[in-house]
Amino acid sequence: MAGALQGIKILDLTWGVAGPLGVLMLAEQGADVIKIEPPGGDPFRTMPGAPVWLRSRQSVVLNLKQSLGREALLRLVETADVIVESFSPGTMDALGLSYEVVAARNPKIIYASLQAYPHGHRYEKRAGWDALVQARSGAQFEQPAWRPGPAHLHMQIPSMGAFFLLSTAILAALYAREDIGRGQHVRTSLFQGVLAYTTMLWQDVENLHAPDSLIMAKTSPPGVHQTSIFECARGEWMHAGVNVGRVATSTMEEILGVEAADQARLTSDPAYRLAHTNNLRSAFFNRDRTELCKTFFDAGIGADPILSPVEMYNYPQFGANNMAVQVEDPELGVMTQVGIAPVLLGTPGAVQGPRPVVGADTRKVLASAGFSPTDVDDLIASTSTGSMKAGK
Amino acid sequence: MPGPLDGVLVLDLGQFLAGPYGPMILSDLGAEVIKVEPTRGDSMRYGSPFIGCQRGKLDIALDLKQPEAQAIVQRMAKNADVLHHNMTKGTATRLGVDYDQVTAHNPEIVYCNTYAYGFEGPMSISGGIDPLYQAVLGLEYEAGGVSHGNPPMYLRFGMTDTANAFASVLGVLTALFHRKKTGKGQDVWTSLLNGGALFSSDVALLADGSPAPMRPSLDKELTGISACYRLYQTQEGWIQVAITQQEEWKRFCNLLNLPDLAVDARAKDYETRTANRAAIEPAIEVAFMTRTAIVWAALLDKAAVSAEMCIDTRGGETVLHDADNERLGLIATYEHPMLGQMTQFGNLMDFSETPTGDFGPPPLLGQHTKQILSRFGYTTEEINDFIARGIAYQAEEGVAYPWSL
Repeated sequence: MAGALQGIKILDLTWGVAGPLGVLMLAEQGADVIKIEPPGGDPFRTMPGAPVWLRSRQSVVLNLKQSLGREALLRLVETADVIVESFSPGTMDALGLSYEVVAARNPKIIYASLQAYPHGHRYEKRAGWDALVQARSGAQFEQPAWRPGPAHLHMQIPSMGAFFLLSTAILAALYAREDIGRGQHVRTSLFQGVLAYTTMLWQDVENLHAPDSLIMAKTSPPGVHQTSIFECARGEWMHAGVNVGRVATSTMEEILGVEAADQARLTSDPAYRLAHTNNLRSAFFNRDRTELCKTFFDAGIGADPILSPVEMYNYPQFGANNMAVQVEDPELGVMTQVGIAPVLLGTPGAVQGPRPVVGADTRKVLASAGFSPTDVDDLIASTSTGSMKAGK
Repeated sequence: MPGPLDGVLVLDLGQFLAGPYGPMILSDLGAEVIKVEPTRGDSMRYGSPFIGCQRGKLDIALDLKQPEAQAIVQRMAKNADVLHHNMTKGTATRLGVDYDQVTAHNPEIVYCNTYAYGFEGPMSISGGIDPLYQAVLGLEYEAGGVSHGNPPMYLRFGMTDTANAFASVLGVLTALFHRKKTGKGQDVWTSLLNGGALFSSDVALLADGSPAPMRPSLDKELTGISACYRLYQTQEGWIQVAITQQEEWKRFCNLLNLPDLAVDARAKDYETRTANRAAIEPAIEVAFMTRTAIVWAALLDKAAVSAEMCIDTRGGETVLHDADNERLGLIATYEHPMLGQMTQFGNLMDFSETPTGDFGPPPLLGQHTKQILSRFGYTTEEINDFIARGIAYQAEEGVAYPWSL
């Protein structure tokens, strides 16, 4: 496989969202990933994201609860660079696959653990579903809803932070290994995934009135970005008027035929500001969104349509950035899926293949790890009983 | 503490959030990061979350419109491992720091440009900010419940800025690793659109262009996506439940004194509890109103039902000042010359052999200008001349800016 991480071998024991998506970031830069699945397959394969998040890897089914399966995994560990797991705390230890055991087999291995809460935290043993971490971290109370109280976040912020942290930590440890000559145990958590997004919101400073002290006010919603949302004709919505750093050749008011606002009064007079906003709202209403977006963009004013997630595939920049890729999923057939985010021009990443069928590579991988045909048969027989439950 | 990126030198020419946040993460990981800042300051210094993405950096203030300032950057870049910025297309060329100009002196450098719309395509010439990409990627549509007739909702977490920064961190680390193996640097780019697209990566199309099976959308009240995966209001406060196992569901129904629901065919598994929300939820909603969230949280724990009380952290206060979070290094506190004691998130990742966590405060504008120029071989005479002619600016003690706000 081509790509910057060519030759790096990863054993992926993760399931859920953040683990598989984090591993995907490495797989599509050329790492060779083997997904280790329990008998019956990863129970999260039914998630809508699975055809994407499980791409670009091979699948091996092992029963880690039996010594045969555990020994097979440890044999694979000997030639691996990275092992990643996202079980609930203590599971790997109970399986006889603790960091100490794995590192004894291969001191150069990077052992990455993803938990719901950090190791040693009093919440460490609590259930780790994404929405529960949203609730406990305070993320839900940070987001306004259309009623008093917190909002459930459809955007799984804990997982969507943690997958970045997981792949970042693994890459940093791989880099350090070149210098220090040994592997290490790296850890992150969904809770830290939330913290990664709080930099605009959660800060304390002693001298509140010193320069540089401004952070987004703790009680600022709805905020400037929410008030830049306008409804156009046919119930379509758009963002407009946000600063994009270009020199605007005209104002939003000019384009809409609305009387220009007195900037000083906008900040000092709430009633005036509301009246102006209402004037703008009326001017947007019944206008064609596509036409307005183009006019604003051409004039140097930030503007974009508010699309449903499915519609993003029709957004011209999406295709221009190669963010839509064709993948032939073994279950769902040819699909258009999200592509690779960072573009490395010297060593381009690539989708290495679709989501594998459960256990598609068991025989091949075990044989190449040196197991005899009889051993392979025994290992496969050991996976015919018992399956691991999702979650706890 | 050296950290995994000990010995890596990064030049950060970015501004706002999506540019500087990535280098801050590299700094967290042990890289030495020099922020090259315009003499008039990063455009976000007066705005909002400036201090949220600058910690641990050294700061040199230069007027890159002047050729001599560009020559200074070139000299620094010759010795740097990474050059990172979020300038719009064409700007780096005008300032003498595009990929070709930099690699002319340092072919092995890892160069990363984080764009707004991307490097190619009809809108690539433009900058852009977070809400535009939340808009086109479906985030605001889903967050607000537009499919139920609600208006769209902006997510307050700076989602795509952070995603762009992290995508660039992944790109830079991947390229640095490759360089370690091969000696070759390269050109890397990402964008707010690219990074943010990962948030919608569970959305795909089938061959005929129709949507592949998707996650249920939020309900109109924004409580959740299933009768067993949502927020419920209590007598006081809110409870989030995440019930996935059938036995767990039965325990839940019994705890709420709804035995009929435990055996109701319309609630026999997660899928049916999602599909039949309207029929199932009213009884649960009524039941939850009989006690407070604190009491429910304790009862649900005792019944082994996965649930959490929804915490109002008062804008992060209870997280920033939590003893466990402090003890484990999740929260960082340090002294800033103007701001006094400041507190923000700390370690996002833990490393057993290359521990991190020794972050410094965000720098003042031009705080290290003289020190950095001297390190790159400029004489005191030259340095004073640069400053006198406005090519560089050195912060004076107790002064945040050379001009009045």
